[in-house]
Formats: sequence, structure tokens, C-alpha cells
Amino acid sequence: MIVNLFFYFFSFVLITSSLMTVFSQNSIYSVLFLVLSFVSSSSILFLLECEYVSLIFIIIYVGAIAVLFLFVVMMLDIKTISLVKDSLKYFPFGSFIGIAFLIEILLVVPSTFEAINPYNISFLCNFHLDWFNKLDYFTEIMSVGHLLYTDYLIQFLLSGNILLLATIGPVTLVLIRSIKTTKKQITFKQLSRTYNSVLYI
Amino acid sequence: MLIFKEIQLLPEIFLGISIIYLIIHGTFISVNNKYLLIQNSVLYLSVLIISLFCFLLINNTIECNDFQIFNNTIIIDYLGSFSKILIAIVSIFCFLMIQRYLTVQKINYFEYSVLILFALLGIFFICSSNDLITAYLAIELQSLSFYIMAALKKDSAFSVDAGLKYFILGAFSSSLFLFGSSILYGVSGTTNFEDLKNLFFWVYSSYDCTQDASDYTFVKDVFINGGLIQFALSFIFVSLLFKLAIAPFHLWSIDVYEGSPSSSTFFFAVVPKLAIFILLVRIFYSSFFEYTAKWRYYIVILAVLTIVVGSFAGLEQKKLKSLLAYSSISHMGYTLIAFSTGTFEGLQMLFCYLFLYMIAGLCIWSIFLMLQLKYKYVKKQNKDLADLSSLSKSNNILALFFSTVLLSIAGLPPMVGFLVKIGIFLVSIEVSMYFVSIVSILCSVISTFYYIRIVKIMFFENSTAGKLYQPIKSHISIVIVCLFYFLLFLFINPTLIYLFSYKITLLLTMTMM
Repeated sequence: MIVNLFFYFFSFVLITSSLMTVFSQNSIYSVLFLVLSFVSSSSILFLLECEYVSLIFIIIYVGAIAVLFLFVVMMLDIKTISLVKDSLKYFPFGSFIGIAFLIEILLVVPSTFEAINPYNISFLCNFHLDWFNKLDYFTEIMSVGHLLYTDYLIQFLLSGNILLLATIGPVTLVLIRSIKTTKKQITFKQLSRTYNSVLYI
Repeated sequence: MLIFKEIQLLPEIFLGISIIYLIIHGTFISVNNKYLLIQNSVLYLSVLIISLFCFLLINNTIECNDFQIFNNTIIIDYLGSFSKILIAIVSIFCFLMIQRYLTVQKINYFEYSVLILFALLGIFFICSSNDLITAYLAIELQSLSFYIMAALKKDSAFSVDAGLKYFILGAFSSSLFLFGSSILYGVSGTTNFEDLKNLFFWVYSSYDCTQDASDYTFVKDVFINGGLIQFALSFIFVSLLFKLAIAPFHLWSIDVYEGSPSSSTFFFAVVPKLAIFILLVRIFYSSFFEYTAKWRYYIVILAVLTIVVGSFAGLEQKKLKSLLAYSSISHMGYTLIAFSTGTFEGLQMLFCYLFLYMIAGLCIWSIFLMLQLKYKYVKKQNKDLADLSSLSKSNNILALFFSTVLLSIAGLPPMVGFLVKIGIFLVSIEVSMYFVSIVSILCSVISTFYYIRIVKIMFFENSTAGKLYQPIKSHISIVIVCLFYFLLFLFINPTLIYLFSYKITLLLTMTMM
């Protein structure tokens, strides 16, 4: 019961914060709402007993990516753009596509999962405790490791290659080799900015 | 770690390891000695690596029809290995062609060839992936290096703009792919194409609907109606169409092709399309054939839309690069028609057309890179059509080659382009898509106009002063002549291309059963 309540609470927080990420005017607030949505989704994952994934969520998304986002948002030097004009231009088509997909999801998903699993209501389903499983089991991180290094070896290597590329690429893009052309940040201008004048989209 | 069976993946592993060696080599040499320019030597080294890759791949004999390694996530079959060899050979030619362009443009980063090698590694993995995770990772590897290649000309605002555009839209399409595959995993519990085929291939024919369905409600909803599966599949399909630049999703391609440096555009246009189509065939022909049968007509509509857009919007273009981009979009439309037929001959013509598209694209883009004007401003690389005026007077043979290849792409009768194009129309008539074939034939006629306009500018323009071009090095000109004669040879003896595509399709359909 309590687990269910928590589940609903965190889902509500998740949905609200992701909506606020899109709709809020100041992009700093957007990033902070994004962090909130990451945190709430990782707590949902905790409730579903996926500890490893949820911790990874917190470490990577909140610890690294959101901080990176904050840096980027503070660095960009974009002035205020009139919101109403742009949104009116794109509103009809965007909302049409969004509503079409929403209706599609609402039509498809409930019709697929409405049926009760017949195994659950039959007498074949007894809730006995499997003591062997309880005593001798892998932790989640162990089983993830087992899978990564045996069955999904080549995928592991491939993602390593992607990470290598992701380090080479930005270094290549920002490494200054010829002096005259590349743009640089002016440090004083950068440091003298305040949070409420950064970026209004 | 490697069991003997899994030695079949040796070429890819070799490529990956040598990329890392190349990075170490380049970094140590170039950073220690005050940024030594090693662009050319690394380029030749990567040609060597790809040639060795080809050698290893040809030595990989495939004894049986197909077999799957690494926990069934990698499939080794004739389709994959042949197209990998073709892609490798095409990319060797690409490397040779772009060398002078890079020198002129002062893109003196040795990372450029490393990035191309990374992209090739991704493309090779797409060709042999048998699993949604592997396919996703390979697509990411390929497109991540493409984003960087698009933005690599740092002093040009167009290039940076193209890189950013490509990155945002590519990330969007990748997220669609992930969404679709996560739904597929949620419904079926597997990401493997083989398992998905076993689950879904015989659904319609084997399930007896008269049986009491009360116990099978979930099964009925998920498998027989297939609503959620089709929802997921449409997402995967749309994301792959994004990568191919099919019509409603083609808008990024023009800007990216025009903005990024020409050597990168060469790669974007020529190399990755075949691999994406192989992935499409693996998903939609072998795993989910019954489900795609329902929305085959929508694919046809997309294909016709693509051809119309490619033909009509190309008429307006004044830049050679964007014209070639629109021409590649319309070619993707023709291949999509062949894809949507769903017959044996359709599949064969699909591969035929793609092989020819790669070879003709190689010819046309390498000639495009050869035509470098004697400007004072070497930076200006985006050629207007008027830059080609009276090319026939300054370099007659090159003008002849260029016009011949253009007419081949347009599909004029005494060229090989005509044979594959009429093959596609015949296939579409065979499955009684008469209207589609009529519309696409008319659009093909319209698109011929802009190819012929280039020929007219090259040969019959009455301008007082023609343009002067940089001289072409002899080994490059030998390569271009070889490519051109190969194209002529394919017209005289088109059996070569038909035979290979027939063998591929035969073996592929055998494994489907």
C-alpha cells in the first residue's frame, strides 16, 4: 500500500517536473526541474527494486549531465527571444503531432494490458517462498556484470569505442591549432553574469 | 575469450584495434613535435587498414548459409559480408579522393581519418547486427562520428551549423529508435532478431482463431492484433527513415550536405545508406514480415512523396552540392519503392539499385571534388552551377566523364542506371502498383531536366570567359578513369551486379524460411 502511494507520488512529481522543464521560461529553472525529474524517476526505479539502474541514474544524470547542462546554459550568450510569436508559429503543427501520438498511445496501451494474467487468479499460483533463491542469489550489479562480460561482450566493446569517440571528437573540435579563427570565451564577461539574466527562451 | 567460431568477427576486431593504434600514433607524433602535419600519412595508413580489412573479410569463408555468434547478436551471412566488402572498397576510393581537398582546405587534423574509420566500424557492425542493442550502438558509433565530421571545418560558420543541426536531429531520431525498441522489449522480452522472428514470423498463419480465446487474451491482444508492436515498429521505421532522409524527414539532409565540408558530404551521401537498408531488411523482412504487410501501402506513399520532393525541389537549386543532395533523396525514394514491394525480385532490385547508387555516387562525388577552381579565395567551395560553364573547353575528358555519369544517374537508356531503374519500375508493375510506377516514371523524367542542365552548362554555354581549374594529379586521374570504365563495363556486362544481388537475395530468403 505504502509502496503504491510512493509510486503514485513519485510519478506525479516526475510528470509535473518534466512538464515544468518544457514550460518554464528561465532555462536555469528548466535544468533544475530536469534534475528533479531525474531524481524522482530514480526513486521510482528504487521502488521497482532496480537499485543499480537507479543509482546509475543519480550518479550519471544528476552528477554529470545536469551539471554540464548548467555550465552550458550559463555559458551561452543568447538574448531574450519573444516567446509568443515563435510558439504561435509552431503551435498548431506541433500540437497536432503531439495529440496524434498521445491518442495513439492511449488507444494502444490500455487495450493491450487490460487483461488480467490468468495465471494469477488460478490455484496454480501459490505464494510460496523460494528459500534457495533467497539465500543464494546474485546482487543486481553482479548479474549485470556477468551479462556484460559474457553474453554482451561485443556490445560492451562497442560502447567503449563510442566513449573513446566521444572523447576524441570534442577535443578535436575545440583544440586551438590556428590562432586567428577560433572563438574564445571572455573570462571576465563570463564571471560577471548573474543567474536571472542568462537565457530566456 | 574468442572461441574459434567467433573468429569470424576478426575483421571488425582488427579494425577497432588498429583505430586505437592509429590514435596513439597520431597523438604521440603530432603533439610532441609542435603539431607536425601528419594528415596525409595517416590517410594512407587508413587506406592500408581498410585494405587489410578487405583482405581479412574475403578470407572469411562462410561455410554454411548463416550463423550467429556472440550470443546470437552478430549474424555472419553472405549479405553482410558482401556489402561490407563493397563498402570497404568504396571507402578506399573515398580516402584517395578526399586527400587533396583536405590539403587545400587546410583541414590538417589527423583525427579526420580516425573519425572516418570509426564511422566505418559502425557501418560494418550495422551490416552484421542481429540484435536491437547492437544495431543501436552501431548506429550511434556511425552517426556520432558523422556529426563531428560535419562540424570539423571550424572556421566556417556553415560547417558548425551543419554539425549542430545533424547532431540535434540525429539524436532525435536515435531516441525514436530507442523508444520503439524499448516497447518491443517490453512486449516480447527479447531484442534478438532471431527470437523475434521465431515469435512473430508465423503469427497470422499458425494461430487458430476459432479456439477458445479466453485464456489467450494477452497473447491475442499483443500478437494477433499487434497494436503495440506496430506502434513500436513504426517508431523504429521512422528513425531509420530519418537516417536515410526519406521525404517527410528529409529536411535536415539538404542543410547538412550543403554546410559540411565536401569530403564529409561525400561520405554522408555515398557510404551509409546501404547499411541502413540492410538493417531495415533484417528487421522488416525477416523478423516482422507479417506486421509490415499491413502498412506496406504507407511505405509506398512515403516513397512516392520522396521521389516527388527530390525531383521537383532539385529544379530550383543553383548550387551543385544541394542538387546532388536532392538527387540522392530521390534515389532513396526509388529504393524504397523496391523495398515496399515485398517480393523476391523487389529485394533483388533493391540491392542492385543500392550497389549502383554507391558506385555512381562515388564517380560523381569524386569528380565533384576534382573540380577545384583557381580562385583567390580557396575557402569558397560550394560550387554554383555556373562555375562549371565551359568545362568542356578547359578539360574535355573530365566534362565527358561527368556528363556520362550524370546521365547514368538520370537513367538514360545507354547507361547502367537505366537498367536498374527500369528494373525497379518493372518490379513495381509486377505487384500491380501501376499508379505508383507511372508517377515515379514521370518524376524521373522531370528530374532528368536538372541533370541535363548541368551537361548543357558544361558543353553549350556561351560565356566569354570560362573558369580555370587546378590541375589534377596523375594517380587521382587514373582512379577516376578506372571508376568510369567500371561504370561503362557494368552497362556492357550488367550480369555482374545482377548475379551478386540475386545470390544475396536467394541466400537471404532461404534463411527467412
